[in-house]
Amino acid sequence: MDPLHYVLAGVLAFFQGPTAFTIFGLGISSAVLMVIAGFLTGLVGGATPGLSGAFLMAVSLPILLQVFGFTPDALLPVMGFLVGVMKGATVGGAVPAILFQTPGTPDAMMTTLDGYPMSRRGQSGKALRVAHFASVTGDTFSDLVLFTCAPFLAVLVEHYLGFTEKAALIILSLSFIAAVVGSSPMKGLMAAFLGLFIASIASGQDSYPRLSMHTEILREGIPLSTAILGVLILGEVLAAFEEMFRARHNARPISEAPPRSNDNGLSLRERWRLMPYISVSAVIGTIVGALPGIGSTLAATLGYVAGHRMHKGKVPFGKGAPEGVAATEAANSSVSGANLIPVLSLGIPGNVGAVFLILAADSIGGFNPGPGVFRFSLSEVNPQLITAFGLFTAMMFANILNWIVGGQLMRACGIMARVPKQILLPMVLLLTLTAIYVQDPRIDSFVFAFAFALLGYLMRKLMIPTLPLVISLILAGNLENAVRQAFSVSGADPFFLFRSPLSVAFLVAAVLVVVLVSRRRDGDRRKSAAPATRAAAE
Amino acid sequence: MAHFARTFAAASALSAALSLGAQAETPTLPWTPSGQITMMIGFQAGGGADSLARVLSDALSATYGWTVVPENIAGRGGAAMAEALKKEPADGLTIGFTVSQSLAYDPQIAMIPTYGLEDFDFLSSVTGSQVGIVARADRGWKTLGDVIEAARAGQKISFAAMTQQLSDGTYVIGKHNGVAFTSVNVQGGRGGVNAVMAQDVDIAWAGGTQASSVSSGDLVNLASGEATPLIMSPDAPLLSQYDVPYDFGAKFLLIAPAGLPEEVKTSLEQAVAGLLNDPDSALHTLTVRNFSGPEVVQGAALRAAMQQRYDQATKLIDDAAE
Repeated sequence: MDPLHYVLAGVLAFFQGPTAFTIFGLGISSAVLMVIAGFLTGLVGGATPGLSGAFLMAVSLPILLQVFGFTPDALLPVMGFLVGVMKGATVGGAVPAILFQTPGTPDAMMTTLDGYPMSRRGQSGKALRVAHFASVTGDTFSDLVLFTCAPFLAVLVEHYLGFTEKAALIILSLSFIAAVVGSSPMKGLMAAFLGLFIASIASGQDSYPRLSMHTEILREGIPLSTAILGVLILGEVLAAFEEMFRARHNARPISEAPPRSNDNGLSLRERWRLMPYISVSAVIGTIVGALPGIGSTLAATLGYVAGHRMHKGKVPFGKGAPEGVAATEAANSSVSGANLIPVLSLGIPGNVGAVFLILAADSIGGFNPGPGVFRFSLSEVNPQLITAFGLFTAMMFANILNWIVGGQLMRACGIMARVPKQILLPMVLLLTLTAIYVQDPRIDSFVFAFAFALLGYLMRKLMIPTLPLVISLILAGNLENAVRQAFSVSGADPFFLFRSPLSVAFLVAAVLVVVLVSRRRDGDRRKSAAPATRAAAE
Repeated sequence: MAHFARTFAAASALSAALSLGAQAETPTLPWTPSGQITMMIGFQAGGGADSLARVLSDALSATYGWTVVPENIAGRGGAAMAEALKKEPADGLTIGFTVSQSLAYDPQIAMIPTYGLEDFDFLSSVTGSQVGIVARADRGWKTLGDVIEAARAGQKISFAAMTQQLSDGTYVIGKHNGVAFTSVNVQGGRGGVNAVMAQDVDIAWAGGTQASSVSSGDLVNLASGEATPLIMSPDAPLLSQYDVPYDFGAKFLLIAPAGLPEEVKTSLEQAVAGLLNDPDSALHTLTVRNFSGPEVVQGAALRAAMQQRYDQATKLIDDAAE
């Protein structure tokens, strides 16, 4: 079979696979149906604060296996559903991020920075359009790269990144986030280290739960999703309650729902103007996605930083610039396609979503993510390659679905931005507490939730950014594992992180980022302070 | 949009109809649960073992008309689940799905052991692992002997393990053969396979996740870590050939808090055995495809087997500590 026939066989396997039912004699393949079902599930789930794509995938995989069984015919419907959820959740995650400053998925965190201020100006419709356009463009680009480069790129990337380089790269990404987000790199670093410390409670490889001080409540460690929801959402709710209380105390009217702006469309010309940001972010997201073990949160951060650098518009980043939303969404969405490069060619996931695709393939059998997938054998048929092209078709089909209905579905949620704060805040509180309890059904969850809500509130009062804390909570486990593994593999060499040129380069960059950003901020401060001092002296 | 809603509704109706049709008539058992049964799963949601437990809980619900609700209590290699299960009343309404190592090996290395074998009733084993030591096929090694030779010749060999018990195994294999491996801890069932595929380590333990890569020719099983030859590579030598007298295989088990009434125990045992012995059940298919096939050991035989594993773990820990 020549390569073109493999592609054709893959496309046919997706559209003409086992049929679920027939309409007017036309068989509807269950793979097509499952992509649609997955996309809708992911979009609605992603738009619900506290529900993540990973959560939806974890819950649905066992049910899918039960329904479709363990034959190779089950591969495309099951993986199609998971791909649908992955794509739907990425787009959906932007909705609560923009409307409520509540990222539905962790990768949408950076979207809040500009999406929410836009929402407050009454431009939620525009922000959602920007997010959707950027997200789908980034996603489609990334998928195209996956289809064309997967076999070659994977081998190259994996060749250069060992345990040591992975550890150094995570350190670099943490220092990036700490330095760039918030008013001062030092406050950012404090938040990041606090996150690492919290994440190290009762984790690690000891059978004894470290740092738990023999207490019952800390034995199982800090529940990650509860901590994140607590700091990010409940902390914000507390701060908003305080604001409402003060407003009432000062006998001022309670702050009303944001005004409705007339500027909620997204013209072709505006789309064209966003393209440079989207393209740069899509390339960044695709590169990050192709690195095994590094997820979309880092891509979103790097995309945002790159966009920040390029931006010269009148609305600055972080104050509601559409370019900020576009840069973030294009970057985090373009991870998912490229992420399948290491998954399909080496069997190594780069994000949580990809983990479930591997599990599905493992449980069903007949498709073994690894170098064998991309073997274009001419003499005999390689069924795995056909499945791979079937999966690519499923991804493209989900993209087309996203282009056609994704935007409308997203904006259907836009109506929620007009709900007044007095009604919205208790709803967010209830929804978040429900999400926390659903994921971890015990009363201790609420103890953690309120403790982290208080922490989030205090951090807001002290102007310490919460984002570095949250991201270091997520990356702490990966970092610890990578460091431990790099150390063991080096045979207990104390300078293990400095033995490879690439890892040294990453570490130097990590220090440079903090130093340079601190200097620039100091410089800015001096510049702004100088006229004031002069004025005072005069 | 309405079109999608309709097709989606039709698809869900269809799948519901399919699952109803698949239901067999309910066999009679001496005990009927008075309410919902919670099945605590000592693994993270989404893993291979978790899928196995969920298929088991679904099959129990579908076949016997019970309401079995799976609940993941992951953490510390199953210890978190064992601690939680121990505190529940022994009425059959709370059962646990775990792996033998969590009860036989882990409590012995815990700083403060929080449970022991005597805290549980062992209902049934479900299936077993297919532990092997793997390397990339392109390395040219055929058996563990080749790797030991390479190490003796001065080559530095890194060896990935997913658990403390397997790390002990790494050390003991080296010790009994006069070489020292660089032991690397990796996470998750696929950790070892991933590290070998990515060439981050030379060889690794794998608990069954290597099957597909071995059949596609990307990986080779250098040795079987089980007491018996591996199903996927019957020619791979046993570790006893390298003077390592331990069985590193694991069994997946259904357990309950100690002191279960006899009719409850019998009913649960019969229910699980019925599912595993039915070659058409999804549970049976899954154990054959991803594990060592259905293994139904129950009652006194299962308790004796667990005690034997416990004693062997004691020996391994002593051996590795010397």
